[in-house]
Amino acid sequence: MPVPTTGHTTESLTTWLAERIALYLKRQPADIDPDVPLAEYGLDSVAALSLCGDIEDDFDVVMEPTVAWDYPTVHALAGHLLAELAADTAQGGGA
Amino acid sequence: MTNFRTFTELVLERTEARSAADAFIFLPDDARGSVPQHLTFAGLDQEARRIASWLQARGAANRQVLLLHPAGLDFIKAFTACLYAGAVAVPGPLPTEQGQHFSRVSGILRDAEACAVLTDSAHAPEISAWLAAEGFTDVPCLATDDPAQGAADAWHAPALTPDSRAFLQYTSGSTSDPKGVVVSHRNLLANEAAIQRSIGTSAQTVCGGWLPFYHDMGLIGHILHPLYLGIPAVLMAPFTFLKRPVRWLKMVGDYGVTTGGGPNFAYDLCVRRVTDAQLETLDLSTWTTACNGAEPVRAETVRAFTERFAPAGFRPEAFFPCYGMAETTLLVSGIPRTAGPRVLDVDAAALERGELADPRADRPTRSLVSSGIVRDFEVRVVDPETRTERPAGHVGEIWLKGDSVASGYWKRPQTNKEIFDAAIRDAAGAGDDDGGWLRTGDMGVLQDGQLYVTGRLKELVILAGRNLYPQDVERAVQSVDPAFGSGAGAVFAVETDREHLVAIQEVRPGSVATDLRTLASGVQSFISKEFSIPAGNILLVRPGTVRRTTSGKIQRTLMRKLFLAGGITALHEVLEPAVRELVASADAGAATGDQPAALSPESVV
Repeated sequence: MPVPTTGHTTESLTTWLAERIALYLKRQPADIDPDVPLAEYGLDSVAALSLCGDIEDDFDVVMEPTVAWDYPTVHALAGHLLAELAADTAQGGGA
Repeated sequence: MTNFRTFTELVLERTEARSAADAFIFLPDDARGSVPQHLTFAGLDQEARRIASWLQARGAANRQVLLLHPAGLDFIKAFTACLYAGAVAVPGPLPTEQGQHFSRVSGILRDAEACAVLTDSAHAPEISAWLAAEGFTDVPCLATDDPAQGAADAWHAPALTPDSRAFLQYTSGSTSDPKGVVVSHRNLLANEAAIQRSIGTSAQTVCGGWLPFYHDMGLIGHILHPLYLGIPAVLMAPFTFLKRPVRWLKMVGDYGVTTGGGPNFAYDLCVRRVTDAQLETLDLSTWTTACNGAEPVRAETVRAFTERFAPAGFRPEAFFPCYGMAETTLLVSGIPRTAGPRVLDVDAAALERGELADPRADRPTRSLVSSGIVRDFEVRVVDPETRTERPAGHVGEIWLKGDSVASGYWKRPQTNKEIFDAAIRDAAGAGDDDGGWLRTGDMGVLQDGQLYVTGRLKELVILAGRNLYPQDVERAVQSVDPAFGSGAGAVFAVETDREHLVAIQEVRPGSVATDLRTLASGVQSFISKEFSIPAGNILLVRPGTVRRTTSGKIQRTLMRKLFLAGGITALHEVLEPAVRELVASADAGAATGDQPAALSPESVV
């Protein structure tokens, strides 16, 4: 199981998120502008929840199902995820 | 099974007979590990008595009670409590910050004239605050998981007849005009018997699934059908499945699930999202009935899922395409068991004209998946304009009659006369029959005794199994910016390998304060927030572009046709790549695989 480390940066998370989102949208990662709302790309609630599950699996954090609506761009999501990972590490890591 | 007069009598018998056995197992979302929750038949009985006594003390018998629970055992206890109290349950979607706003349930609460709202203690404060804000000061809110409320000993058996209302199902009607299907105990018992005959369920059946508990397919199929049989059901929340589709399939193997399903998109999602490594851990060999209903069944999905999951023991004949709706309690038809899905390839152009014809070489073909045999209903395919019956092999509106057909929508005598009591006109002009037919609003064709659903007469958009009314989305779009204020809009769906929403909205370029791109992006964000659906395709157009009838009705079917033919010139447009391709191919005169526009009264004006 992946363990959160302090190695994550906004840049690495942005790349990871753009790749994953591009996969759901059947686009190229380069087409995903990190500051454009994901809704503009046609990200639906099913894909938003899939993304939520992917983040939980790959980073071992718990995400609210509404995360993609509360943080509607790749940059906002990356910032939120980084904060969650930092908080997790501060508490002594995952489960 | 026929010796019960009401579903309440049946549940009382089942809970006593099955006592210590598991009735329901709920699997919470377990990102960080959590344990399955078990509810025995005896436990369900005790809790239902306790909550029912609270309802009876408040005079809720024969009155409506709104249920706003998250997916979980508390909903099942509360629903059963309504049956025990002789109250009329009204299952509703729990409003969350994710889009299901209180406006939908406010409309339901008002229309249903609910005398109480049941929820759990986690949501009670929020719901009480909503009731106060809406001015429903005389509607109490109960947290049904509080053991101090009610007492099992104080419960007494309700006075019910087969025609008593069992519950109201609010899946029809727009947000501003919700319509509750009145399901009686007779309807419910008749449809559960129809499901049993159609699927062949028995005491050995194990049900399982993730469908919303307040939705007809989840409620009737995954919760009340197991109760009807006295067998266990394993359930999870929709978002647990959507986050990790493999959880649903894992449930099948872990609990030996035999029966359960979902809309077509769920099977697609499994094909796309389950990895090779996950596939190796799955065992789907117990799954004898994988129901596929609630949205059009696609031949491509059936093929892809069967192929992908064959190594895990999934058998082709397990697929169970079926057809149904809340207005018929649930099930109308399903394919004969062990037969496997039946696909009929027909000439697309002939189908557009309303006839079945063999495919022709080099001409567009459409693959229709059979919805099976209609057994417990009388069925007719009727010309929606002339109300005369169409012969076999010809497309028309599907009309039904039978014990599962509800008496109508709550408090809608006018609509009910039209929808639930339609009469078929004699082709020779000899007048009408005795009436009593349900007009389904779905278009279909009977061929060799099998029913094929080919399209929709009603302008309903189905996205990921959810029913959306175009007028709700159009209204929402127009609220985004004053520049849309007086302009008309048209919302409809187009199909590639799934349905896509398209919104066309008129805008006065002179009154745009920002720019068109910002406006379009604002519309997209608002729609996805408000309805939790993607609005990937937005066309902002000049005033006068959206066609109306002389009486001012938006011609959505015509707009859809124009859009697909590349006939809409936009001031600004955003299109998903797949939709852009679809329009381009139609432009080139080679459209294939697209649903024909249902023959709508609007398209002939």
